[in-house]
Amino acid sequence: MALSPAIPSPHTNSVTAKVKTLSVGNGAASEGTKSTAGQGQELAEQLNEETKRKYVKDKKIGEGTYAIVYLGHLRADPKSKVAIKKIKVNAEYREGLSLDAIREVKFLQELSHPNIPALYSVFSSKNQNLNLVLEYLPLGDLEQLIRDVDGVRYGTADVKAWMGMLARAVWFCHENFVLHRDIKPNNLLIAADGEIKLADFGLARSFSDPYRVMTHQVITRWYRPPELLFGARYYSGAVDIWSTGTVFAELILRTPFLAGNSDVHQLELICQFVGTPNDDNWPGVSKLPDYVPFGKDGSQSYPVRGRDFYLQTFGTVGAVGVDLLMSMLSLDPRKRVTAREVLTHKWWSTDPTPTKKEDLPKKGAGGEARMAEDLKRRAGELDDGRGVKVARILDFSGMK
Amino acid sequence: MCESCVDRIFSQGPAPCPVAGCNRTLRKQRFRAQTFGDIQVEKEVDIRRRVAKIFNRRQDEFETLNDYNNYLEEVETLTFNLLNGVDVSATESKLAEYAAQNAAVISHNATLEYQESASQEARQAAEKEETRLRREAARREDEDERRAREEGRKEILEQLTHSNKNAVEVVKETKRVEVLKRRRAAQQAKAPATATGGGPSTKPSPFIIKGLKSTTALSPEKPYDPFGGLTDKRSYYVLQDHYEHPWLDQARTDPHITAGGYSVKEYCARSMFEAFSGLGVFVEEEVAGRGDASEGSGALDAVATAVAAVKAEGSGS
Repeated sequence: MALSPAIPSPHTNSVTAKVKTLSVGNGAASEGTKSTAGQGQELAEQLNEETKRKYVKDKKIGEGTYAIVYLGHLRADPKSKVAIKKIKVNAEYREGLSLDAIREVKFLQELSHPNIPALYSVFSSKNQNLNLVLEYLPLGDLEQLIRDVDGVRYGTADVKAWMGMLARAVWFCHENFVLHRDIKPNNLLIAADGEIKLADFGLARSFSDPYRVMTHQVITRWYRPPELLFGARYYSGAVDIWSTGTVFAELILRTPFLAGNSDVHQLELICQFVGTPNDDNWPGVSKLPDYVPFGKDGSQSYPVRGRDFYLQTFGTVGAVGVDLLMSMLSLDPRKRVTAREVLTHKWWSTDPTPTKKEDLPKKGAGGEARMAEDLKRRAGELDDGRGVKVARILDFSGMK
Repeated sequence: MCESCVDRIFSQGPAPCPVAGCNRTLRKQRFRAQTFGDIQVEKEVDIRRRVAKIFNRRQDEFETLNDYNNYLEEVETLTFNLLNGVDVSATESKLAEYAAQNAAVISHNATLEYQESASQEARQAAEKEETRLRREAARREDEDERRAREEGRKEILEQLTHSNKNAVEVVKETKRVEVLKRRRAAQQAKAPATATGGGPSTKPSPFIIKGLKSTTALSPEKPYDPFGGLTDKRSYYVLQDHYEHPWLDQARTDPHITAGGYSVKEYCARSMFEAFSGLGVFVEEEVAGRGDASEGSGALDAVATAVAAVKAEGSGS
C-alpha cells in the first residue's frame, strides 16, 4: 500500500488537498479500479473530506466574478475566525484551475510571515471548486484609510509603521525569490491587531531564470514601473520596489501619485513627475520593446526631478524619508534600491519612531465587506468606480 | 462671619484673624459660603476632604481587601485625631510628611479620579493638561541645566580674574565640582522616585502602609527593527558578489535584458539557495521527533484508520 507521506495535522495538510484538487482529472479515469493507485486517490479524497469538515462556513460576505468569500470558523473552535475564499470554476479555464488560484496557493502556502496573510488550508468542495482557508482580516485595507480623508487622520509615524510592514513583506517575498507584481493599497489588508498584510498573490511568480521572458502585463497601472510600461520582458524585484514607492507617495499625498487612465498617459505622468527617461538617465532604455521616445518631436522633456521637488511635495516625512522615496522611484531599475536596502535605510531609525501596530489608526465599520471586496477581486484589477477606467484584461501570452 | 464683616476687614488684603487669641493671617479669597447650618459639620467635611485628598490610595493598589481596610482604618484614626484635636501637631506633621513622600502617587491617583468622574471631553482636556505639565517640567529641567552651565562658566571667569591659579587648573577644578553637583542632583531626583514606588523606602515612614502591590517599572522600549526580527543570513554559504559563468555573460551585458532591470545577482542568489536547501533537514531526526509528538502520532492513527476503512469498504463491495 503506497502511503502518502503527507501527515494531516491542523493547518498543514494544504499540500495534500492541493494534490487532490490538481489531480482530479485523472482521478475520473481511474475511478472504479481497485488498484493501489486508486486507493491512494481515495485516501487523498478522504483527507480532503477531513479538511473540509474541519471548517464551517458561516455566511457569505461577498461575491465577485472570480471568487465568493465566506466568513467561517473552525468546527472545533467556534471562536476562531477564518475567511474562506471559494474560487469559482471559470469559463476561461474549464480544463483546469485559473492561473490566479494556482499562483495564490503556490506562494501563500510557502510564505509564512507576519505581514503576509496565512493560508491555513486548501480543500475542494463539490464541482471541484477550490476553497482557500485564509486568515481573517477584519479591518479593511489601506486604501480605505487613505481615501477617508475626513474620518481618518494619520501622521508620519503611522506612515512609517505601515511602510515598515509593507517593506518587510516585500523583502520577505524577494528573499524567497517571489515577485509579488501587484502591490497597491487595496491589496494591503489590515489585521485585527493593526498589522498590515500584503495579500493577493494572484499575479506573483518566482524569479525568472536568465533569458526566460516574463509578461509585462502585470501590476495595476498606477503602480506599474516604467520598465513594464516599456514592455520589458526581463525584470527583477525592482518592479515591486517602484510599486512600494508609489504606495509610499500615496500614503503621504492621500491620493494616487501617478493615476494614469491609459498606459501612455501613465508614462506621460511618470515623465512629468519623476522625469523623462532617456539613454542618459537610464542606459539602454531605448532598446526596450515598447519604448516610446518622450520629449523628442516637440513635446516637453522633463529632467529627472531633484530633491527640491520631492521635499516640496512629500516634505512631511522629513528629508531622510524623501531620500528613501526618491531612491525607490528611480527610473532605471538597476539604480532603484533593493528591498533589503529599503530596510537598512536610516529613515527607520530617525525620528519619529514608527507607531506601535496596536495604536495605528483604524476604521471601524465596513471592514468585513471590504475584505470580501478585496478577496473576490481578480488580481490586477480595480473594482467599482475606479475599475471602469483602469480595468484591463490580463494577457498571459507572454508567459509561454 | 457675615459677608459685610469679611468685606470690611479683609478688603485691604490679608489681615490677622479677628478672633481673640488666634493669630492666623487670613485672606478674603479663602472665605466661602457655608454649606451646612452646623459649623461643626462644615468643619468636619472640610477636614475629611483635605485628608481624603492626600490619602487617596485605591483598593486595586492593595494585595488584599484586609490590607485596604487596615489602611482605611488608619486614615480614619488620623481624621478622628484632627477632628477632635488629639495630637493635632503630630498628626499634621504625619500628614505633611506622607504627602511629601507620596506626591507622585497622590497626584497620579488624583488624576485617575478626576478622569473617572469627568466626561469624555473633560478627560481629553485633562490629558492635554498633563502633557503640558510634562512639557513644562521638561522645559524647566532644560532651563535649570542651562542655568547651571551658565553659572559654571561664570564661576570659571570669576576664578580666573580673582585667583592667581593656572587657567587650566581652574577650569578643571570647576568642571569637577560641576560633575559632582550634577551627580548629586541626579541622585536626589532618583530618591523620591524609589520612595513612591510603594516598596520599602530608605527613610522610615511615619505612616506605614502594608500590603501595597509592588509596582513594576515598564521595561524600556526596544529600538525599532525594520526586519522584524528576521535575518537573511544563510547558514551554509556566503553569497558572493560575482559568479563567473559564460552562460550568464549575455544576461549581464545585453542592454535588451539589463535595461529592464533583470538582475543576474538575484538569479545567483536563488541558485545558491536552491543548491543548499535541504542540507539542514535530517529526516531521521524528524521521524524520531514525529514519534514523540502525540499530535503527530494521532494524525498517523487517523490516517491508518482511514486506510483501514477504505480497505474494508473495498473488500465489502
